[in-house]
Amino acid sequence: MKRRIQIGVLYSRSGSYQLVSDACRTGAMRAIADINADRSCGIELVPVERDPQSNADRYASLCEDIFRTSSARHVIGCITSWSRKETIPVLEKAGGMLWYACPYEGFEANEHVVYMHACPNQHLVPLMAHVAPRFGANGFLLGSNYIWGWEMNRVARDLIADAAGKVLGERYLRIGETDVSRLIDEIRATRPNFILNNLIGTSSYAFLAAYRDLGRENAAFKADACPVISCNLTEGELPAIGETGRGHLSAGPYFAPRPAAFASSFEASAYASVQVMADVLSGDPDAGPAAFSKAFAGRRFTTRLGSIAIDPHTQHATLPVIIGRIADGFFEVVSREEEVAPDPYLSRYDPAKTFGRPRLRVVS
Amino acid sequence: MSRSARIPNLGGARAFVLHRPHATVQAITRQLSAIGLEAVECWPQLPAEALAADFVFFDADLGFDEQFPWQPGEAPMPLVALIGSEAPGRIEWALSQKADAQLLKPVGNAGVYSALLIARQSFEAGKRLADEIASLRQRVGERQTIVRAVAALSKGSDDDRAYAQLRSLAMSWQISVEEAARRIVAMTENEDGGDQSHRA
Repeated sequence: MKRRIQIGVLYSRSGSYQLVSDACRTGAMRAIADINADRSCGIELVPVERDPQSNADRYASLCEDIFRTSSARHVIGCITSWSRKETIPVLEKAGGMLWYACPYEGFEANEHVVYMHACPNQHLVPLMAHVAPRFGANGFLLGSNYIWGWEMNRVARDLIADAAGKVLGERYLRIGETDVSRLIDEIRATRPNFILNNLIGTSSYAFLAAYRDLGRENAAFKADACPVISCNLTEGELPAIGETGRGHLSAGPYFAPRPAAFASSFEASAYASVQVMADVLSGDPDAGPAAFSKAFAGRRFTTRLGSIAIDPHTQHATLPVIIGRIADGFFEVVSREEEVAPDPYLSRYDPAKTFGRPRLRVVS
Repeated sequence: MSRSARIPNLGGARAFVLHRPHATVQAITRQLSAIGLEAVECWPQLPAEALAADFVFFDADLGFDEQFPWQPGEAPMPLVALIGSEAPGRIEWALSQKADAQLLKPVGNAGVYSALLIARQSFEAGKRLADEIASLRQRVGERQTIVRAVAALSKGSDDDRAYAQLRSLAMSWQISVEEAARRIVAMTENEDGGDQSHRA
Protein backbone atom coordinates (compact mmCIF):
# COMPACT_ATOMS: atom_id res chain seq x y z
CA MET A 1 0.00 0.00 0.00
CA LYS A 2 1.49 3.32 -1.07
CA ARG A 3 1.54 6.21 1.35
CA ARG A 4 -0.42 9.17 -0.05
CA ILE A 5 1.31 12.56 0.01
CA GLN A 6 -0.40 15.71 -1.19
CA ILE A 7 1.65 18.22 -3.20
CA GLY A 8 0.63 21.64 -4.45
CA VAL A 9 0.57 22.47 -8.18
CA LEU A 10 0.43 26.21 -8.85
CA TYR A 11 0.45 26.86 -12.58
CA SER A 12 -1.76 29.25 -14.52
CA ARG A 13 -4.09 27.62 -17.02
CA SER A 14 -4.69 30.81 -19.01
CA GLY A 15 -3.05 34.18 -19.71
CA SER A 16 -0.22 35.67 -21.73
CA TYR A 17 2.48 33.13 -20.77
CA GLN A 18 0.21 30.11 -20.87
CA LEU A 19 2.39 28.03 -23.23
CA VAL A 20 5.25 28.06 -20.72
CA SER A 21 2.90 27.38 -17.85
CA ASP A 22 1.37 24.45 -19.70
CA ALA A 23 4.80 22.99 -20.41
CA CYS A 24 5.74 23.04 -16.72
CA ARG A 25 2.38 21.64 -15.67
CA THR A 26 2.65 18.82 -18.20
CA GLY A 27 6.08 17.90 -16.85
CA ALA A 28 4.88 17.92 -13.25
CA MET A 29 1.73 15.91 -14.00
CA ARG A 30 3.64 13.35 -16.07
CA ALA A 31 6.12 12.85 -13.25
CA ILE A 32 3.31 12.46 -10.71
CA ALA A 33 1.60 9.88 -12.92
CA ASP A 34 4.85 7.95 -13.48
CA ILE A 35 5.72 7.90 -9.77
CA ASN A 36 2.22 6.75 -8.86
CA ALA A 37 2.41 3.96 -11.46
CA ASP A 38 5.79 2.81 -10.19
CA ARG A 39 5.12 -0.08 -7.79
CA SER A 40 8.63 0.03 -6.37
CA CYS A 41 8.08 3.56 -5.11
CA GLY A 42 6.45 3.66 -1.66
CA ILE A 43 4.51 6.90 -2.12
CA GLU A 44 1.59 8.15 -4.14
CA LEU A 45 1.59 11.86 -4.95
CA VAL A 46 -1.80 13.57 -4.87
CA PRO A 47 -1.81 16.91 -6.71
CA VAL A 48 -3.67 19.82 -5.08
CA GLU A 49 -4.08 22.22 -7.97
CA ARG A 50 -4.80 25.95 -8.03
CA ASP A 51 -4.97 28.24 -11.08
CA PRO A 52 -3.76 31.84 -10.59
CA GLN A 53 -4.82 32.69 -14.19
CA SER A 54 -1.54 34.56 -14.85
CA ASN A 55 -2.43 37.14 -12.20
CA ALA A 56 0.69 37.83 -10.09
CA ASP A 57 -1.43 38.87 -7.11
CA ARG A 58 -3.19 35.51 -6.90
CA TYR A 59 -0.13 33.28 -6.41
CA ALA A 60 0.49 34.09 -2.75
CA SER A 61 -3.16 33.72 -1.72
CA LEU A 62 -3.60 30.47 -3.65
CA CYS A 63 -0.37 29.06 -2.21
CA GLU A 64 -1.71 29.95 1.24
CA ASP A 65 -4.94 28.21 0.29
CA ILE A 66 -3.04 25.03 -0.62
CA PHE A 67 -1.29 25.04 2.77
CA ARG A 68 -4.52 25.79 4.63
CA THR A 69 -6.81 23.28 2.96
CA SER A 70 -4.46 20.35 2.41
CA SER A 71 -1.52 18.62 4.06
CA ALA A 72 0.76 19.61 1.15
CA ARG A 73 4.04 21.27 2.19
CA HIS A 74 5.69 21.11 -1.24
CA VAL A 75 4.46 23.18 -4.16
CA ILE A 76 5.64 23.02 -7.72
CA GLY A 77 4.76 26.15 -9.58
CA CYS A 78 5.26 29.81 -10.52
CA ILE A 79 6.55 30.96 -13.88
CA THR A 80 7.44 34.62 -13.46
CA SER A 81 9.93 35.83 -10.86
CA TRP A 82 7.28 38.28 -9.79
CA SER A 83 4.98 35.44 -8.73
CA ARG A 84 7.85 33.53 -7.08
CA LYS A 85 8.80 36.54 -4.98
CA GLU A 86 5.13 37.05 -4.02
CA THR A 87 4.91 33.43 -2.87
CA ILE A 88 8.08 33.33 -0.74
CA PRO A 89 6.62 34.98 2.42
CA VAL A 90 3.81 32.40 2.42
CA LEU A 91 6.34 29.56 2.12
CA GLU A 92 8.41 30.96 4.98
CA LYS A 93 5.38 31.28 7.21
CA ALA A 94 4.14 27.76 6.51
CA GLY A 95 7.56 26.07 6.43
CA GLY A 96 6.78 24.99 2.86
CA MET A 97 8.98 24.54 -0.20
CA LEU A 98 8.57 25.79 -3.75
CA TRP A 99 10.01 23.80 -6.65
CA TYR A 100 10.73 26.37 -9.33
CA ALA A 101 11.25 24.96 -12.82
CA CYS A 102 11.94 28.12 -14.85
CA PRO A 103 15.06 30.05 -15.76
CA TYR A 104 15.36 33.21 -13.67
CA GLU A 105 17.55 36.28 -13.23
CA GLY A 106 19.58 35.07 -10.21
CA PHE A 107 20.54 36.97 -7.04
CA GLU A 108 18.30 34.89 -4.80
CA ALA A 109 18.91 31.77 -2.68
CA ASN A 110 15.96 31.18 -0.40
CA GLU A 111 15.98 27.99 1.63
CA HIS A 112 12.28 27.52 0.89
CA VAL A 113 12.88 27.40 -2.86
CA VAL A 114 14.64 24.79 -5.00
CA TYR A 115 15.81 26.37 -8.24
CA MET A 116 15.67 23.64 -10.86
CA HIS A 117 16.28 25.63 -14.05
CA ALA A 118 19.15 27.89 -15.13
CA CYS A 119 20.42 31.08 -13.46
CA PRO A 120 22.58 33.74 -15.25
CA ASN A 121 25.92 31.90 -15.14
CA GLN A 122 24.04 29.01 -16.79
CA HIS A 123 22.25 31.06 -19.45
CA LEU A 124 23.09 34.74 -20.03
CA VAL A 125 26.85 34.66 -19.39
CA PRO A 126 27.62 31.70 -21.70
CA LEU A 127 25.18 33.04 -24.31
CA MET A 128 26.91 36.43 -24.38
CA ALA A 129 30.31 34.72 -24.45
CA HIS A 130 29.12 32.84 -27.53
CA VAL A 131 27.57 35.81 -29.32
CA ALA A 132 30.07 38.66 -28.72
CA PRO A 133 33.03 37.20 -30.66
CA ARG A 134 30.82 35.92 -33.51
CA PHE A 135 28.40 38.79 -34.11
CA GLY A 136 29.86 41.72 -32.19
CA ALA A 137 29.29 43.09 -28.72
CA ASN A 138 26.89 45.99 -29.39
CA GLY A 139 23.49 44.98 -28.11
CA PHE A 140 19.92 46.23 -27.97
CA LEU A 141 18.14 45.12 -24.77
CA LEU A 142 14.43 44.30 -24.60
CA GLY A 143 12.28 43.16 -21.73
CA SER A 144 8.78 42.83 -20.37
CA ASN A 145 8.31 45.40 -17.65
CA TYR A 146 8.99 43.38 -14.50
CA ILE A 147 11.91 41.96 -12.58
CA TRP A 148 13.11 39.33 -15.09
CA GLY A 149 13.72 41.89 -17.85
CA TRP A 150 15.10 44.56 -15.52
CA GLU A 151 17.62 42.32 -13.80
CA MET A 152 18.64 40.38 -16.92
CA ASN A 153 19.30 43.61 -18.78
CA ARG A 154 21.22 45.00 -15.82
CA VAL A 155 23.59 42.02 -15.91
CA ALA A 156 23.70 42.26 -19.72
CA ARG A 157 24.81 45.92 -19.53
CA ASP A 158 27.83 44.84 -17.50
CA LEU A 159 28.59 41.88 -19.73
CA ILE A 160 28.41 44.07 -22.85
CA ALA A 161 30.80 46.59 -21.28
CA ASP A 162 33.19 43.78 -20.33
CA ALA A 163 33.06 42.54 -23.93
CA ALA A 164 34.04 46.10 -25.03
CA GLY A 165 30.63 46.67 -26.62
CA LYS A 166 27.92 49.29 -26.27
CA VAL A 167 24.28 49.16 -25.20
CA LEU A 168 22.50 50.82 -28.11
CA GLY A 169 19.07 50.82 -26.50
CA GLU A 170 17.00 49.37 -23.70
CA ARG A 171 13.22 49.16 -23.94
CA TYR A 172 10.45 47.61 -21.86
CA LEU A 173 6.89 46.62 -22.75
CA ARG A 174 4.01 45.94 -20.41
CA ILE A 175 3.33 42.18 -20.11
CA GLY A 176 0.92 41.29 -22.92
CA GLU A 177 1.68 44.44 -25.01
CA THR A 178 1.97 43.62 -28.71
CA ASP A 179 2.66 47.04 -30.27
CA VAL A 180 6.36 46.72 -31.07
CA SER A 181 6.68 49.30 -33.86
CA ARG A 182 8.75 51.70 -31.79
CA LEU A 183 11.22 48.98 -30.83
CA ILE A 184 11.65 48.05 -34.46
CA ASP A 185 12.22 51.71 -35.45
CA GLU A 186 14.90 52.09 -32.81
CA ILE A 187 16.64 48.87 -33.77
CA ARG A 188 16.57 49.91 -37.41
CA ALA A 189 18.16 53.23 -36.45
CA THR A 190 20.82 51.97 -34.04
CA ARG A 191 22.05 48.90 -35.96
CA PRO A 192 23.01 46.57 -33.06
CA ASN A 193 25.00 43.35 -33.48
CA PHE A 194 22.42 41.37 -31.52
CA ILE A 195 19.15 41.84 -29.63
CA LEU A 196 18.70 40.40 -26.15
CA ASN A 197 15.04 39.44 -25.90
CA ASN A 198 13.63 39.34 -22.36
CA LEU A 199 10.10 39.90 -23.55
CA ILE A 200 7.74 37.14 -22.51
CA GLY A 201 4.72 35.50 -24.12
CA THR A 202 2.66 37.41 -26.67
CA SER A 203 4.98 40.47 -26.63
CA SER A 204 7.88 38.25 -27.60
CA TYR A 205 5.92 36.60 -30.44
CA ALA A 206 4.85 40.00 -31.77
CA PHE A 207 8.42 41.27 -31.68
CA LEU A 208 9.86 38.24 -33.49
CA ALA A 209 7.25 38.57 -36.26
CA ALA A 210 7.98 42.27 -36.74
CA TYR A 211 11.73 41.66 -36.65
CA ARG A 212 11.40 39.00 -39.36
CA ASP A 213 9.76 41.68 -41.54
CA LEU A 214 12.61 44.08 -40.76
CA GLY A 215 15.07 41.40 -41.91
CA ARG A 216 13.20 41.10 -45.20
CA GLU A 217 13.48 44.85 -45.66
CA ASN A 218 17.19 44.91 -44.79
CA ALA A 219 19.50 41.85 -44.71
CA ALA A 220 21.53 43.41 -41.87
CA PHE A 221 18.65 42.35 -39.63
CA LYS A 222 18.46 38.72 -40.69
CA ALA A 223 19.12 36.11 -37.99
CA ASP A 224 22.55 35.17 -39.37
CA ALA A 225 23.70 38.81 -39.20
CA CYS A 226 21.97 40.16 -36.09
CA PRO A 227 20.37 37.38 -34.05
CA VAL A 228 17.71 37.73 -31.38
CA ILE A 229 19.06 35.92 -28.33
CA SER A 230 16.98 34.66 -25.38
CA CYS A 231 17.43 32.79 -22.15
CA ASN A 232 13.88 31.54 -21.80
CA LEU A 233 12.77 30.59 -25.29
CA THR A 234 12.02 26.88 -25.72
CA GLU A 235 10.27 24.44 -28.04
CA GLY A 236 7.05 25.05 -26.13
CA GLU A 237 6.71 28.44 -27.80
CA LEU A 238 7.84 27.49 -31.29
CA PRO A 239 4.26 26.81 -32.46
CA ALA A 240 3.36 30.41 -31.56
CA ILE A 241 6.50 31.80 -33.19
CA GLY A 242 6.50 29.65 -36.29
CA GLU A 243 8.78 30.67 -39.13
CA THR A 244 9.64 34.02 -37.52
CA GLY A 245 12.03 32.45 -35.02
CA ARG A 246 14.24 30.66 -37.51
CA GLY A 247 17.99 31.18 -36.96
CA HIS A 248 17.71 32.97 -33.64
CA LEU A 249 19.52 31.70 -30.54
CA SER A 250 18.50 30.56 -27.09
CA ALA A 251 20.37 29.14 -24.09
CA GLY A 252 18.97 26.46 -21.80
CA PRO A 253 19.75 23.24 -19.97
CA TYR A 254 17.84 21.01 -22.42
CA PHE A 255 16.72 21.16 -26.00
CA ALA A 256 14.53 18.33 -27.20
CA PRO A 257 16.29 15.79 -29.39
CA ARG A 258 14.14 14.07 -32.01
CA PRO A 259 12.39 11.94 -30.87
CA ALA A 260 12.33 13.56 -27.47
CA ALA A 261 11.41 12.44 -23.97
CA PHE A 262 10.28 15.96 -23.16
CA ALA A 263 8.98 18.71 -25.39
CA SER A 264 10.99 21.48 -23.72
CA SER A 265 13.37 22.32 -20.85
CA PHE A 266 10.40 23.66 -18.84
CA GLU A 267 8.70 20.28 -19.04
CA ALA A 268 11.94 18.40 -18.37
CA SER A 269 12.84 20.57 -15.39
CA ALA A 270 9.36 20.28 -13.84
CA TYR A 271 9.50 16.51 -14.31
CA ALA A 272 12.94 16.31 -12.67
CA SER A 273 11.72 18.55 -9.81
CA VAL A 274 8.95 16.11 -8.92
CA GLN A 275 11.40 13.21 -9.20
CA VAL A 276 13.86 14.76 -6.73
CA MET A 277 11.02 15.75 -4.40
CA ALA A 278 9.56 12.20 -4.48
CA ASP A 279 12.98 10.63 -4.03
CA VAL A 280 13.46 12.38 -0.66
CA LEU A 281 9.80 12.14 0.41
CA SER A 282 9.72 8.37 -0.18
CA GLY A 283 12.41 8.03 2.50
CA ASP A 284 10.95 10.66 4.83
CA PRO A 285 7.36 11.69 3.99
CA ASP A 286 7.51 14.62 6.43
CA ALA A 287 10.79 16.05 5.09
CA GLY A 288 10.89 19.85 5.27
CA PRO A 289 13.53 22.36 4.14
CA ALA A 290 16.13 21.18 6.66
CA ALA A 291 15.86 17.51 5.64
CA PHE A 292 16.08 18.47 1.96
CA SER A 293 19.11 20.61 2.59
CA LYS A 294 20.79 17.62 4.21
CA ALA A 295 19.84 15.37 1.31
CA PHE A 296 21.22 17.89 -1.22
CA ALA A 297 24.54 17.99 0.62
CA GLY A 298 24.81 14.23 0.71
CA ARG A 299 24.08 12.97 -2.76
CA ARG A 300 23.06 13.28 -6.38
CA PHE A 301 19.65 12.37 -7.78
CA THR A 302 18.79 10.15 -10.68
CA THR A 303 16.29 11.90 -12.91
CA ARG A 304 15.10 11.71 -16.48
CA LEU A 305 17.46 14.65 -17.12
CA GLY A 306 20.38 12.54 -15.98
CA SER A 307 22.17 12.54 -12.67
CA ILE A 308 21.51 15.88 -10.95
CA ALA A 309 23.38 17.61 -8.14
CA ILE A 310 21.77 20.40 -6.12
CA ASP A 311 24.10 22.83 -4.40
CA PRO A 312 23.11 22.76 -0.70
CA HIS A 313 24.25 26.36 -0.14
CA THR A 314 22.09 27.93 -2.83
CA GLN A 315 19.60 25.10 -3.63
CA HIS A 316 20.24 25.62 -7.32
CA ALA A 317 20.74 22.67 -9.68
CA THR A 318 23.98 21.91 -11.52
CA LEU A 319 22.92 21.83 -15.17
CA PRO A 320 24.22 21.43 -18.69
CA VAL A 321 24.46 24.68 -20.68
CA ILE A 322 23.29 24.32 -24.24
CA ILE A 323 23.05 27.00 -26.89
CA GLY A 324 20.47 26.17 -29.50
CA ARG A 325 19.54 27.72 -32.84
CA ILE A 326 15.93 27.64 -33.96
CA ALA A 327 15.55 25.40 -36.99
CA ASP A 328 12.40 23.98 -38.51
CA GLY A 329 10.28 23.43 -35.41
CA PHE A 330 13.18 22.44 -33.17
CA PHE A 331 16.50 23.73 -31.82
CA GLU A 332 19.75 22.56 -33.34
CA VAL A 333 22.51 22.38 -30.77
CA VAL A 334 25.24 24.94 -31.43
CA SER A 335 27.30 24.28 -28.31
CA ARG A 336 27.02 22.19 -25.19
CA GLU A 337 28.80 22.24 -21.85
CA GLU A 338 28.07 19.58 -19.20
CA GLU A 339 27.62 20.08 -15.45
CA VAL A 340 27.88 23.82 -14.97
CA ALA A 341 27.65 24.53 -11.24
CA PRO A 342 25.20 27.28 -10.27
CA ASP A 343 26.54 30.73 -9.32
CA PRO A 344 23.34 32.72 -8.70
CA TYR A 345 25.16 35.81 -7.38
CA LEU A 346 27.79 35.70 -10.15
CA SER A 347 30.41 35.59 -7.39
CA ARG A 348 32.77 33.62 -9.58
CA TYR A 349 32.19 35.63 -12.77
CA ASP A 350 35.49 36.54 -14.41
CA PRO A 351 35.32 38.93 -17.41
CA ALA A 352 38.76 37.89 -18.68
CA LYS A 353 37.79 34.21 -18.73
CA THR A 354 34.39 34.93 -20.26
CA PHE A 355 35.45 37.26 -23.04
CA GLY A 356 39.14 36.41 -23.45
CA ARG A 357 41.95 38.85 -22.83
CA PRO A 358 40.62 42.29 -21.98
CA ARG A 359 41.59 44.95 -24.50
CA LEU A 360 44.39 47.21 -23.41
CA ARG A 361 43.21 50.68 -22.63
CA VAL A 362 45.17 53.88 -22.59
CA VAL A 363 45.46 55.10 -19.02
CA SER A 364 46.24 58.74 -18.60
CA MET B 1 34.44 57.48 -13.57
CA SER B 2 32.02 55.03 -12.07
CA ARG B 3 29.45 53.08 -14.03
CA SER B 4 25.93 52.95 -12.70
CA ALA B 5 25.72 49.16 -12.75
CA ARG B 6 28.33 46.55 -11.87
CA ILE B 7 28.10 42.88 -11.22
CA PRO B 8 28.89 43.08 -7.49
CA ASN B 9 32.15 41.30 -7.06
CA LEU B 10 31.70 39.60 -3.70
CA GLY B 11 33.09 36.15 -4.52
CA GLY B 12 35.88 35.06 -2.19
CA ALA B 13 35.38 38.01 0.17
CA ARG B 14 35.74 37.28 3.92
CA ALA B 15 33.15 38.33 6.46
CA PHE B 16 33.60 38.06 10.24
CA VAL B 17 30.43 37.59 12.28
CA LEU B 18 30.95 38.83 15.83
CA HIS B 19 28.03 37.29 17.69
CA ARG B 20 27.61 34.65 20.38
CA PRO B 21 26.70 31.19 18.98
CA HIS B 22 23.05 31.55 17.96
CA ALA B 23 20.56 30.70 15.20
CA THR B 24 21.10 34.24 13.89
CA VAL B 25 24.72 33.40 13.13
CA GLN B 26 23.66 30.29 11.21
CA ALA B 27 21.13 32.29 9.18
CA ILE B 28 23.78 34.90 8.31
CA THR B 29 26.43 32.29 7.52
CA ARG B 30 24.04 30.43 5.26
CA GLN B 31 23.24 33.56 3.28
CA LEU B 32 26.91 34.59 3.11
CA SER B 33 28.02 31.24 1.72
CA ALA B 34 25.14 31.22 -0.78
CA ILE B 35 26.34 34.62 -2.02
CA GLY B 36 29.88 33.28 -2.30
CA LEU B 37 31.61 34.76 0.75
CA GLU B 38 33.65 32.98 3.37
CA ALA B 39 32.11 33.46 6.83
CA VAL B 40 34.15 33.38 10.05
CA GLU B 41 32.27 33.24 13.35
CA CYS B 42 33.82 34.71 16.46
CA TRP B 43 32.85 35.71 20.00
CA PRO B 44 33.55 37.51 22.25
CA GLN B 45 36.45 39.17 20.41
CA LEU B 46 37.49 39.86 16.88
CA PRO B 47 40.84 38.15 16.31
CA ALA B 48 43.76 40.11 14.83
CA GLU B 49 43.19 38.65 11.37
CA ALA B 50 39.81 40.39 11.30
CA LEU B 51 41.80 43.51 10.38
CA ALA B 52 42.10 42.00 6.90
CA ALA B 53 38.39 41.15 6.64
CA ASP B 54 36.24 42.57 3.84
CA PHE B 55 33.16 42.92 6.07
CA VAL B 56 32.39 42.67 9.78
CA PHE B 57 28.93 41.92 11.20
CA PHE B 58 28.70 42.77 14.90
CA ASP B 59 26.09 42.25 17.60
CA ALA B 60 24.61 45.52 18.79
CA ASP B 61 22.78 43.85 21.72
CA LEU B 62 25.76 42.58 23.73
CA GLY B 63 28.66 44.34 22.03
CA PHE B 64 31.29 46.55 23.72
CA ASP B 65 34.23 48.66 22.50
CA GLU B 66 36.98 46.28 23.62
CA GLN B 67 35.82 43.58 21.18
CA PHE B 68 37.34 45.44 18.25
CA PRO B 69 41.03 45.75 17.40
CA TRP B 70 40.47 49.40 16.44
CA GLN B 71 39.16 52.60 18.04
CA PRO B 72 35.35 53.10 17.96
CA GLY B 73 34.34 54.49 14.57
CA GLU B 74 37.68 53.70 12.89
CA ALA B 75 36.97 50.27 11.39
CA PRO B 76 39.04 49.73 8.25
CA MET B 77 36.19 47.83 6.54
CA PRO B 78 32.38 48.10 6.15
CA LEU B 79 30.47 47.23 9.34
CA VAL B 80 26.97 45.78 9.62
CA ALA B 81 25.19 46.14 12.97
CA LEU B 82 22.99 43.22 14.06
CA ILE B 83 20.20 44.88 15.99
CA GLY B 84 17.82 42.87 18.16
CA SER B 85 16.81 45.12 21.02
CA GLU B 86 15.98 48.63 19.92
CA ALA B 87 16.94 50.07 23.31
CA PRO B 88 18.20 53.60 22.66
CA GLY B 89 21.45 52.96 24.54
CA ARG B 90 22.28 50.03 22.31
CA ILE B 91 21.48 51.96 19.14
CA GLU B 92 23.65 54.80 20.42
CA TRP B 93 26.52 52.37 20.98
CA ALA B 94 26.09 50.83 17.50
CA LEU B 95 26.16 54.35 16.04
CA SER B 96 29.41 55.08 17.89
CA GLN B 97 30.94 52.20 15.96
CA LYS B 98 29.81 53.92 12.75
CA ALA B 99 27.98 50.91 11.30
CA ASP B 100 27.53 51.27 7.54
CA ALA B 101 24.38 49.14 7.41
CA GLN B 102 22.11 47.23 9.74
CA LEU B 103 20.28 43.93 9.86
CA LEU B 104 17.39 43.35 12.25
CA LYS B 105 17.34 40.17 14.29
CA PRO B 106 15.98 37.56 14.04
CA VAL B 107 17.60 37.15 10.63
CA GLY B 108 15.54 35.07 8.22
CA ASN B 109 16.20 34.04 4.64
CA ALA B 110 17.11 37.42 3.24
CA GLY B 111 18.67 40.74 4.08
CA VAL B 112 22.37 39.92 4.03
CA TYR B 113 22.88 40.68 0.34
CA SER B 114 21.38 44.16 0.52
CA ALA B 115 23.23 44.83 3.80
CA LEU B 116 26.53 43.92 2.10
CA LEU B 117 25.94 46.21 -0.87
CA ILE B 118 24.66 49.12 1.22
CA ALA B 119 27.49 48.77 3.77
CA ARG B 120 30.15 48.67 1.07
CA GLN B 121 28.79 51.68 -0.76
CA SER B 122 28.35 53.76 2.36
CA PHE B 123 31.80 52.78 3.68
CA GLU B 124 33.44 53.75 0.40
CA ALA B 125 31.54 57.02 0.23
CA GLY B 126 32.64 57.80 3.82
CA LYS B 127 36.23 56.97 2.97
CA ARG B 128 36.22 59.16 -0.13
CA LEU B 129 34.77 62.02 1.88
CA ALA B 130 37.35 61.61 4.66
CA ASP B 131 40.18 61.61 2.11
CA GLU B 132 38.79 64.72 0.49
CA ILE B 133 38.43 66.50 3.84
CA ALA B 134 42.00 65.56 4.80
CA SER B 135 43.37 66.97 1.55
CA LEU B 136 41.27 70.15 1.90
CA ARG B 137 42.50 70.54 5.48
CA GLN B 138 46.03 70.23 4.31
CA ARG B 139 45.45 72.86 1.66
CA VAL B 140 43.88 75.21 4.16
CA GLY B 141 46.92 74.66 6.39
CA GLU B 142 49.14 75.83 3.52
CA ARG B 143 47.56 79.28 3.37
CA GLN B 144 50.52 80.84 5.13
CA THR B 145 52.97 79.20 2.73
CA ILE B 146 51.06 80.73 -0.19
CA VAL B 147 51.22 84.18 1.40
CA ARG B 148 54.95 83.79 1.84
CA ALA B 149 55.47 82.56 -1.73
CA VAL B 150 53.44 85.45 -3.19
CA ALA B 151 55.43 87.89 -1.09
CA ALA B 152 58.70 86.36 -2.29
CA LEU B 153 57.63 86.55 -5.95
CA SER B 154 56.20 90.07 -5.81
CA LYS B 155 59.16 91.51 -3.95
CA GLY B 156 56.70 93.98 -2.51
CA SER B 157 55.20 95.26 -5.79
CA ASP B 158 52.17 93.65 -7.53
CA ASP B 159 50.60 90.83 -5.45
CA ASP B 160 48.03 89.96 -8.13
CA ARG B 161 50.70 89.42 -10.73
CA ALA B 162 52.78 87.40 -8.24
CA TYR B 163 49.80 85.15 -7.49
CA ALA B 164 49.19 84.65 -11.23
CA GLN B 165 52.86 83.77 -11.60
CA LEU B 166 52.59 81.23 -8.76
CA ARG B 167 49.61 79.61 -10.43
CA SER B 168 51.30 79.38 -13.80
CA LEU B 169 54.41 77.89 -12.16
CA ALA B 170 52.21 75.29 -10.45
CA MET B 171 50.63 74.49 -13.79
CA SER B 172 53.89 74.13 -15.63
CA TRP B 173 55.35 71.98 -12.83
CA GLN B 174 52.05 70.02 -12.82
CA ILE B 175 51.65 70.26 -9.07
CA SER B 176 49.16 71.97 -6.77
CA VAL B 177 49.46 75.69 -5.99
CA GLU B 178 50.21 74.80 -2.38
CA GLU B 179 53.06 72.54 -3.37
CA ALA B 180 54.46 75.15 -5.78
CA ALA B 181 54.30 77.69 -2.97
CA ARG B 182 56.28 75.33 -0.72
CA ARG B 183 58.94 74.97 -3.40
CA ILE B 184 59.22 78.72 -3.94
CA VAL B 185 59.45 79.39 -0.22
CA ALA B 186 62.18 76.74 0.07
CA MET B 187 64.05 78.14 -2.95
CA THR B 188 63.92 81.75 -1.79
CA GLU B 189 65.06 80.72 1.66
CA ASN B 190 68.06 78.94 0.12
CA GLU B 191 68.85 81.76 -2.31
CA ASP B 192 68.40 84.55 0.13
CA GLY B 193 70.40 82.94 2.88
CA GLY B 194 71.15 85.76 5.30
CA ASP B 195 70.20 88.41 2.74
CA GLN B 196 66.86 89.43 4.28
CA SER B 197 67.33 93.15 3.75
CA HIS B 198 65.72 93.20 0.25
CA ARG B 199 62.46 91.87 1.61
CA ALA B 200 59.72 94.32 2.22
